[in-house]
Amino acid sequence: MLKNAVNFVKKFTRSLSFKLSFYAGLVMFLALLAFSYHTISSQEAGLIKKMIQDSIKDSEVIKAAIWNGMMKKERGVIRQIINAIGKTEGFKEINIYDDKGFLHYTTSQSSAALPIDMSNDPFLSDLRVNTSNRHKLSGDGHILTVLNPLINTQSCSSAACHAHPESEKILGAVELKIGLDTIRREISQNSYKTVIFATALFVVVCTISGAAVLLFVNPSIKNLQRKAFKMARGEYVPRAPTIGKDEIAELGRAFDSMSVQINQHTAEIESSRRMYKALFEEVPCYLTVIDRDFKIIRSNRSFKAEFGDNVGQHCFKGYKNRTSKCNNCPVEKTFYDGVSHQSEETWNINGHKCHVIVKTSPIFDEKGSVIQVLEMAMDVTLLKRLQFRIQQKQEEYQYLFENVPCYLTVVDSDFKIVRANNLFTRDFGFGEGLRCFEVYKKAGHKCDNCPVEKTFHDGQSHFSEEVWRKNGEDTYIIVYTSPVMDDKGEIISVMEMSTNITEIKMLQGELAVLGETIAGMSHSIKNILAGLQGGVYVLDSGLSRGRDDRIKAGWAMVKNNVEKISDLVKGILYASKQREPEYKNYELSNLLVEVCDLFEAKARDEGVELIRNFEKEICTCLIDPGGIHSALSNLVSNAIHACRSEDSETAHQVVVSGRLENGGLVIEVSDNGIGMSEEVSQNLFTKFFSTKGSHGTGLGLVITRKVIREHGGSIRVESEFGRGSKFIVEIPCRETST
Amino acid sequence: MAKKILIIDDEPDMVTFLSTLLEDSGYDIVTASDGDEGLMKIKSEKPDLVSLDLLMPNKTGIKMFRELRKDPEITSIPVVMVTGFATDDTPNMDFKKWIHERSIRPPEAYIEKPVDKDALLKEVKRILGQ
Repeated sequence: MLKNAVNFVKKFTRSLSFKLSFYAGLVMFLALLAFSYHTISSQEAGLIKKMIQDSIKDSEVIKAAIWNGMMKKERGVIRQIINAIGKTEGFKEINIYDDKGFLHYTTSQSSAALPIDMSNDPFLSDLRVNTSNRHKLSGDGHILTVLNPLINTQSCSSAACHAHPESEKILGAVELKIGLDTIRREISQNSYKTVIFATALFVVVCTISGAAVLLFVNPSIKNLQRKAFKMARGEYVPRAPTIGKDEIAELGRAFDSMSVQINQHTAEIESSRRMYKALFEEVPCYLTVIDRDFKIIRSNRSFKAEFGDNVGQHCFKGYKNRTSKCNNCPVEKTFYDGVSHQSEETWNINGHKCHVIVKTSPIFDEKGSVIQVLEMAMDVTLLKRLQFRIQQKQEEYQYLFENVPCYLTVVDSDFKIVRANNLFTRDFGFGEGLRCFEVYKKAGHKCDNCPVEKTFHDGQSHFSEEVWRKNGEDTYIIVYTSPVMDDKGEIISVMEMSTNITEIKMLQGELAVLGETIAGMSHSIKNILAGLQGGVYVLDSGLSRGRDDRIKAGWAMVKNNVEKISDLVKGILYASKQREPEYKNYELSNLLVEVCDLFEAKARDEGVELIRNFEKEICTCLIDPGGIHSALSNLVSNAIHACRSEDSETAHQVVVSGRLENGGLVIEVSDNGIGMSEEVSQNLFTKFFSTKGSHGTGLGLVITRKVIREHGGSIRVESEFGRGSKFIVEIPCRETST
Repeated sequence: MAKKILIIDDEPDMVTFLSTLLEDSGYDIVTASDGDEGLMKIKSEKPDLVSLDLLMPNKTGIKMFRELRKDPEITSIPVVMVTGFATDDTPNMDFKKWIHERSIRPPEAYIEKPVDKDALLKEVKRILGQ
């Protein structure tokens, strides 16, 4: 019971409302006491001061009465007046002293005989010299004593009665003793009242402030307290907004907003905790947390499924069933240096040999030292197997790339060759770093209609046919391009595959030639037929009119055209490989002379100068003289024709030259005739052309080229329209054989 | 009096054939084997009509034709242009068009080789107003 009460008091004295009200009341109480003390003190001083003044006035009255009595020699009157005043309330005593300090008169009841020597009284010690009024408090402040000296006046010294010599300044003094009991009583009464009032105020203030705290503050604080407890249990959710405008309400609102944020953060932390937990458990690799003793303290689902619940065991035992720590242990390294480590190992899982990548990460405590290590082991056996297969495929493709029987290059967007296959490297040298057009065509700029560029642009395959000039010979190439893309589908390079189609092109050309030859041939035949018809007409006319000249002329025409047919057939035979070349040892200069002789007359007729620009002996080698003869005849005939077709008045020349150069025969037939447009000269050997109308069979250059090729040689042309042409024939000079 | 025709052609066979054909049809024939000789004969013989081969040495037919048309003395002489080109086969050599684009009067007739006897005679008669 007592204990309960003590507890209650303890609790009460600790409560905020008690402290607040108690201290507020105490401050009020002390302030009031201090104020009252000050007021009462000053009041007391004022009262005493007034009392002194009043007493001095009274002493003056007494002095006047004394003087009057002295002057009128009526000492009885003096006594009466003094007695009358002495009976007034408050007066204790009125004493009159002479200048030697002898008490001559007093209102006190003491019956001692007067005068009484009082000169020993320290208050009276300076009686003879001090002319001013003075006072003292005695008897514990209850008695006020005022001393007013009696000053010698002229009337006193000159009066007839007795002489107060003039030399005496002070004749005596009047002393008034006044009781201060009444005043003291009043003051102490006031003091008591003040203390009572202050105590009452203290009680009232304590009660009111305590009640206010209990009424207005305590419930809100209790409420907050309750909320805080709920929040600590994770149950608090603010529902209604806190009403009110005071600081407590503000505090409530701040608390609510804080609780909302705390709830939110808690939820976030909780969800990320769950996520990490799930991650840890479900991640498709073996995860364990290992302490400094290499013991497994946590493991995830994958690990448990594969190795069993080995928590508490050593990791080397759990993972590998070893009895001691592995060499080169990444966990140990991570404990040592606090960074991640990785190792690749071969494990035996369920009797299968597996490739595993082990990675470790440190787990730090708050001081930053490694307390645990997270070990992550991933089975990459499948990946390894795939890697191996990819490598195999890569090698296969590499082999294909290198050994495919065409030129294969990979070109970047700057046309630079990034890779090239064996065939390319063999034929062009290793072209890496060079641009494709520089290597393939020896050109300084990219080709028109470039298929690589097109593929970079649209990502599609393209192809183009190209002509490469190699060793003076045209090589026909078909180029296919395909995009090479990265994993994002962006074109990073283009594969360029070039196939030599010269053989096909030649066949194609010959087919075209054949077609056009037939067209040209029918034209020639038409002309020959016209000639034959004309001849027959003239022969007929001669026969019917009996005119021999016409018969002769007509017959000559018939014969001439039959010869033309014969020539034509020979030409066709040349062109269609029917004629086998007959190789003989022959001096080239002789052949050139023969050809020039053959055309000398014709050239003269056409006004063309035929210039022989060769030595008497050039070289004797194995050639088909018939074939070369017809080939050169063609060139010379063409050259003369080119001069004839030219309009201008310049002196026309055809120059036939022959020489031995680098062990080969070089024969040139040049003219300053009409020349050829680029189009004509480009298509000269691939397409069939005749610019000679009825005069040409259209087979000349085809036969020429055929013959030269049979000799392993080449023919090319340099020509400029309006300036002339130059045909250059190069034939290797073959050794004489029997 | 028989009309005189000048045949200009570098091919002797053609000259023989054309002169026989036209002589048989009752015309007087003069021949020339190239452009220069042709121009000379035109001036000396003053033919009523000229048959001109297009492709010839010493002035091609075209060049000679241009000179003939530019010379006021002989510009009025009608010309039959004989050509070996089939214009359908060789469109690039469309000389008819080429001639028509020039400011000179075109030939009065074109005859293509091989020469159709009847067509030639018909054209000649038409030009000579017979």
